[in-house]
Amino acid sequence: MSTSFYVGALELTAGAVLVCAVMTLWRRQVRTIVTMLRFQGVALAAVAGVLAWHEHDLGLAITAALVLAVKGALVPLLLRRVIRLDPRSRETAPLINVPASLVSAAFLIVVSYVVSSKLTALAPSAATRLVPIGVATVLVGYFMLVTRRRSVSQIVGLLLVDNGIALVTFLLTAGVPLIVELGATLDVLLVVVVLQVLVVNAGAQHGSFDLDEMRELHD
Amino acid sequence: MLSLLALVIPLLMGVIALVVPWRRWIGWGSALSSAGVLGIGIALSITTSSHAPVSALHGTLRADALSSFMVVVIGTVSLLATLQTPRVMRREIAEGITTARRASYYVVLMQAFITCMLTAVLAANLGVLWVAVEATTIATTFLVSHSRTKKAIEASWKYVMLCSVGIALAFLGTVLVYFAALHSGVATPGTVSLNWTSLMAIAPHLNHGVMRLAITLLVLGYGTKVGLAPTHSWLADAHSQAPAPVSALMSGVLLTVAFYALLRFKAIADAALGVDFPRALFIVVGLLSLLVAAILLIAQRDYKRMLAYSSVEHMGLLALGAAAGSSLAIAAVLLHMLGHGLTKSTLFISSGEIAHAEGTTEIAKVKALLARRPVLGGIFGCGLIALLGFPPFSLFISEFTMARAEVNVGLWWVVALSLVFLSVIFVSITNHARHMLLGGDSSVAVPLNAQSVVVPLVAALATSSFMGVSAWPLLTLLRAAAHVVAR
Amino acid sequence: MTHVGTPLAYAIIASILQVALIALGGPLLMGLMAKVRARAEGRVGAPIHQPLRDLRKLMGKERLRAQHSSAVLAVAPLVVFGSTALAVAISPLVTTHPLLSASADLFVIVYLLLTGSVTMALAGLDTGTVFGGMGSSRAITVGALAEPALLVAVIALSIQARTSNLPAIVADTITHPVWTSTPTRILALVALVIVVIAETGRLPVDNPNTHLELTMIHEAMTLEYAGSDLGLVTLGAAMRLGLLFALLMNLFVPWGVATGNSIPWLLAAVVFLALKTSLLAAAVSLIEVHSAKLRLFRVPELLAGGFVLAVLAVITQLATR
Repeated sequence: MSTSFYVGALELTAGAVLVCAVMTLWRRQVRTIVTMLRFQGVALAAVAGVLAWHEHDLGLAITAALVLAVKGALVPLLLRRVIRLDPRSRETAPLINVPASLVSAAFLIVVSYVVSSKLTALAPSAATRLVPIGVATVLVGYFMLVTRRRSVSQIVGLLLVDNGIALVTFLLTAGVPLIVELGATLDVLLVVVVLQVLVVNAGAQHGSFDLDEMRELHD
Repeated sequence: MLSLLALVIPLLMGVIALVVPWRRWIGWGSALSSAGVLGIGIALSITTSSHAPVSALHGTLRADALSSFMVVVIGTVSLLATLQTPRVMRREIAEGITTARRASYYVVLMQAFITCMLTAVLAANLGVLWVAVEATTIATTFLVSHSRTKKAIEASWKYVMLCSVGIALAFLGTVLVYFAALHSGVATPGTVSLNWTSLMAIAPHLNHGVMRLAITLLVLGYGTKVGLAPTHSWLADAHSQAPAPVSALMSGVLLTVAFYALLRFKAIADAALGVDFPRALFIVVGLLSLLVAAILLIAQRDYKRMLAYSSVEHMGLLALGAAAGSSLAIAAVLLHMLGHGLTKSTLFISSGEIAHAEGTTEIAKVKALLARRPVLGGIFGCGLIALLGFPPFSLFISEFTMARAEVNVGLWWVVALSLVFLSVIFVSITNHARHMLLGGDSSVAVPLNAQSVVVPLVAALATSSFMGVSAWPLLTLLRAAAHVVAR
Repeated sequence: MTHVGTPLAYAIIASILQVALIALGGPLLMGLMAKVRARAEGRVGAPIHQPLRDLRKLMGKERLRAQHSSAVLAVAPLVVFGSTALAVAISPLVTTHPLLSASADLFVIVYLLLTGSVTMALAGLDTGTVFGGMGSSRAITVGALAEPALLVAVIALSIQARTSNLPAIVADTITHPVWTSTPTRILALVALVIVVIAETGRLPVDNPNTHLELTMIHEAMTLEYAGSDLGLVTLGAAMRLGLLFALLMNLFVPWGVATGNSIPWLLAAVVFLALKTSLLAAAVSLIEVHSAKLRLFRVPELLAGGFVLAVLAVITQLATR
């Protein structure tokens, strides 16, 4: 594939990952947030696919397929079960309101650009120059984890952190050895399964799973 | 071969527990598998402390002196914990808290947990190490929420969330190390891997900026699993809500296994960046952990949370010892790991018994334990004395040696600060202990009938005091293990 | 003559043409948007030139000023019209060499538009009525969030063209057609669409047809004007709409803008501009038909989202240079 097409495709897919992250901060409907996560999984797989094609790397291609299956399909499916159990479907009162969250996200994006300059400087290339996008996704995910109240939103924040780190991995090193990549993706799936089972258990035992009421353990 | 066996035995026991419906002998079987692991650990240690490291499975598993020592630690503490399984499960089933099927799952998860920890310490590849540590999080979540109370579920939610974020950061740190290795200029692309030995070989050529970022992320990431401040808040919740043997295993050994990962990465960072930057990082998190533990122990109301915060304190001490980095310091750190494992597991198991006997985990509601339940109270009291670092218990000698090593390197101000924090902690814990143990009570002393509690715990305390007096059986092993990562 | 002798004469002719075009075209665009909306809703609707007829009617009516108002109210319509006309004169609408093109910096044009908005807001406060003050505060709130988004989005474009001079950006984009499809441009386009909807007071930010107290923003500020004052203010708002639409189209789809010196090309550019802005107006009108007005406290969410997209555009541009 020609260089400019490769660069353009890489920019587009990596940018899509971050735009999906910003959209999860923006929208309030929990269903929409999970849909954004699904798009992000697909975009992430696309990044890996573009890199695999350019580097002619079979391991990375397998990783791309795995990411598509797990993050693009399975994880959103599991999250839908969690949504069904959590009666409230809108993030109505986050700790930091939506406009302030979005402005903070803009700030975090700038910070990530500054922080990643050392990484890009070590090995400048079309792929490594997009590393700030991955770091920004991690920061946005962390922000969401900390400021949201719905259990699904917190899980989505965690998954954003994971997706951002996966994006950084793809861009910096064209993937780590396959076994580690397998382990990492399966771990993400298992974490979501675990969280989903927790919510289901809590719902079955105590009627509902409300993070707002989980304030009993403290010092 | 031996290292492979160390993994296969607990895994096999787990599969058996999964397939066969619950019987008492399954509980004893898991204790047997832990004994087997301990035996293999001892065998590995004898081999590796004098000879070269052993490999298995085409180099995927690698046992050097440090790994062998960790296998011994894991084996010891898991033996203590799994010996409690038959009795605890029988009691819980009798009281209707658990069903037989959940008891089976308990054993399966425990075995999976132990297998993952063993994989982590025996892995040659740092990526496999990461996968194993992440797997322990998944395995232990359901163990923490075993009792299915609202508090337990809240604790396990917090645990999974915080540890997953931490482990994700650790993954990013690992990727950055790999990135630095790929562009180090000395390695051809085909030979670069995340194997610890190959990374140590090319460490001096790794880019400084990237490595600094990597080691910071790794300290924050794996530090979350270790329970170091600032990411320690899951520890008290998870360790206080889990069943007592699980807390014993988690506090005694899981934290230490995560710290082992930090030691491996610190060795690479020291070789790449020089001692100063990693040392500064470890001092910061170490002192911060001591400070946090000191503050939160003063007005503590729950004795299980008290034990959990004491774990934060000891992990802080480990971090300070690792900051010193010399051979003596690392040897002391390793001895401290073993001593802390023995002591903390003893304390958690006995606290589990106290909680069951008294029906509460609040310090204020438990009084005159020595008078009413002499054996249990005696074990708990001795355990606390050991935890506070009194001779003849081994924590005294390991803390003293760490302090000496830190002074040798010029960190006398760190020692001074940590002594201040330790004094505060000493007073707090003694106060709580006095409240719980002392006092007269006219009611009849209740004897403790269960052999499976008394014998192992007394044995653990005795071992700890023996090690505190004479390091003889471990000296060669400690020296060899320290040599692997010391600077 | 088909070619003009000196560029200055050409620039003067072009700028006058631009002002006339936008002065006539702005109201026509508003009429077009009303017509598209009416058709989408199944009505016939008023003819497209109805706003022009309304303006002519207003210009002939008597001017009335509130008793306790000051010079601000008297001067405001002139300032609004004047600043907008000046901005139109120096923007790259039909040509990349308008009058004073060296000063046609992004910040200058935004500043001119801002002068108009702030004057309107001050005049709304001037009469001392409740509606006026309420409208002013709401308008400034929306403006405070929309301006940074506007600036940052166009900065993203200016990083790519290495200059913040708008005519230069348009000229550079014409010579580099491949720039149009980069992610930066797409993000900046979305951000600017949001900003333009906010600045021109269209749904979902503000309903131009409402006079309900709960929902007015721009309309509240113009309640106190009458006669030719109201005519000037309405014309100013229409020209603002025309300018923003034309700038939006020219920054992203600049083909059709005259780059040389010839008059026929200039006239052709007029046709192209009319076409492009009509398309954009129809598109915005369709967005209006399909969206409900946002509650006022949700408007900052939309604008903050636009701001983040603009920041994303800048970072993407910096990262992929």
